[in-house]
Amino acid sequence: MTRYQLAEHPTIEVEVITAGLACCTLEVEAAATAGLLLPVSGEQISPAPSILVISGTVTDALLPAVLAQIDRFPEARLMSFGACATSGGPYWDSPPVTKGIDQFADVAVYVAGCPPRPDAFVAALLDLAHSGVAP
Amino acid sequence: MTAVMAMESVPVDTWHERVHQVKQRGFGFFDFLTAVDRNSFVEVVVHIVREDLSDSYLISTMLSNENLHIDSIETLFPGAGWHEREVGEMFGVKFEGNDMQKLLRHETLGLPPLRKNIVLSARVVTEWPGAAEPEIKQDGRKVGNPSRRRQRPPGAPESWLQQ
Amino acid sequence: MIHSFIALLPDKCTSCMLCVRECPAWCIHLDSHTEEVTDAGARRPKKINVLDSFDIDYSLCMYCGICVDVCPFDALEWDQHRALISDSRADLTLGITQLTSENDSAN
Repeated sequence: MTRYQLAEHPTIEVEVITAGLACCTLEVEAAATAGLLLPVSGEQISPAPSILVISGTVTDALLPAVLAQIDRFPEARLMSFGACATSGGPYWDSPPVTKGIDQFADVAVYVAGCPPRPDAFVAALLDLAHSGVAP
Repeated sequence: MTAVMAMESVPVDTWHERVHQVKQRGFGFFDFLTAVDRNSFVEVVVHIVREDLSDSYLISTMLSNENLHIDSIETLFPGAGWHEREVGEMFGVKFEGNDMQKLLRHETLGLPPLRKNIVLSARVVTEWPGAAEPEIKQDGRKVGNPSRRRQRPPGAPESWLQQ
Repeated sequence: MIHSFIALLPDKCTSCMLCVRECPAWCIHLDSHTEEVTDAGARRPKKINVLDSFDIDYSLCMYCGICVDVCPFDALEWDQHRALISDSRADLTLGITQLTSENDSAN
C-alpha cells in the first residue's frame, strides 16, 4: 500500500494498493514515475481513501488470488483499470479468462482503455477521492 | 537464420531414434518443437539446427487422433521438455517419458484449446452484432430485411453454430 | 496521432456494417433502416440507409483501429484523448451523441 498525493491536486491524498496482472499495470506505474502521483512519506494522521486497483487480465486460475487480495482490504474501493479487468477485453472469447472482475466484487470505478493512459488513472483516483472517504 | 533446411517426415515409432541420429550428425541445437492440427491427424514437428547455424533439420511425424502418444525427446534436448508440455496442453499429445506437468493452463480446464474441434463457446453464445442489416420500415416500424443472405460471425464456423 | 478515442462522423456513415463485422471484440452495435427518397429530377426513388443508433462499448474496445481502417467513407476517425471513467460499466457504452461531441466524456 502506497500513499500518493495527486500532483495537480496536492490537497488530495489516496492510498493505492495495486493488483497488477498484465500490461495495464505499466500505465499505473507510469502515472507514478511520470510525476502525476507523488509518494507521501512520514506519519499519516488524516485518513485517505484506499483504492485497490485491478489492472490487467484476470484469469480463472488467478481469480482466487485476486479475490483474496480484495478480501484483505475490505475498506478499499475497487478500480477496474482497463478493458481486461472490466470485461475480458481482447480476450473476451478466451475460455480461461474471467469476463470482468465485477462479477465477483463491487467495482467503484471503471476505467476504459486498452490500456488507459496514466492520466486516466489519475482522473479515476480524483473521481474516487471526490466521492468521499469510504467508512 | 540458416541457409539450408532439410525436411523429413518419419513414422511415430522411429521418432526418438531419428532425432537422436540427426543430433549425432552435428545438429546439436534445439530450436523448437510444436504441433499442427491437420484435422484427421496431429503433426508434431521439431526443428534442430547445426551448432554453427549453417543448416537445420525439420523432422515431423503424424499422430492419429485415436492415439496421441509419442516418445519424449527430453533426454536428447532438455529444452524440448517445456515445448512438449505446451504441446501436451494445447493439443492433447502425451509425450512418453516427460512428466507432462501443466505449464500454462489451469488444472480444471479439460480440453486442449488448439484442437480444431474445440468450440470457442463465447463466440457461439454471444450474439454477433454484425448479423444485423439495415431494416426495412413499414408503417413506422421495422420489419427486418429478409432478402439478405445471413451473415456468419468471423471465427465461428458453421458447424459450431449448429451445435 | 494519438490513438485515444474513436469518434463517429454520423453524416458520413452509410450503415454498411463493415466496422461492426470487422471488430474483433464485437464491441460495435449499429441499428439502421432503409428509406426511399426521391431526388429532384430523378425518375425513380432511391433507397438509402438511415442510421438509427451506433454504439461502441468502450469496456471491450481494444483500440485496434480496424473499424477506422475499414470504413470506406471515413466515418470513424481517431480523436483526441478522453478519459473514459464511470462507476457503471453500462455507461462505458457510448452512443452517437457521445461519440461525436468533442469534449464530452463518459461520466
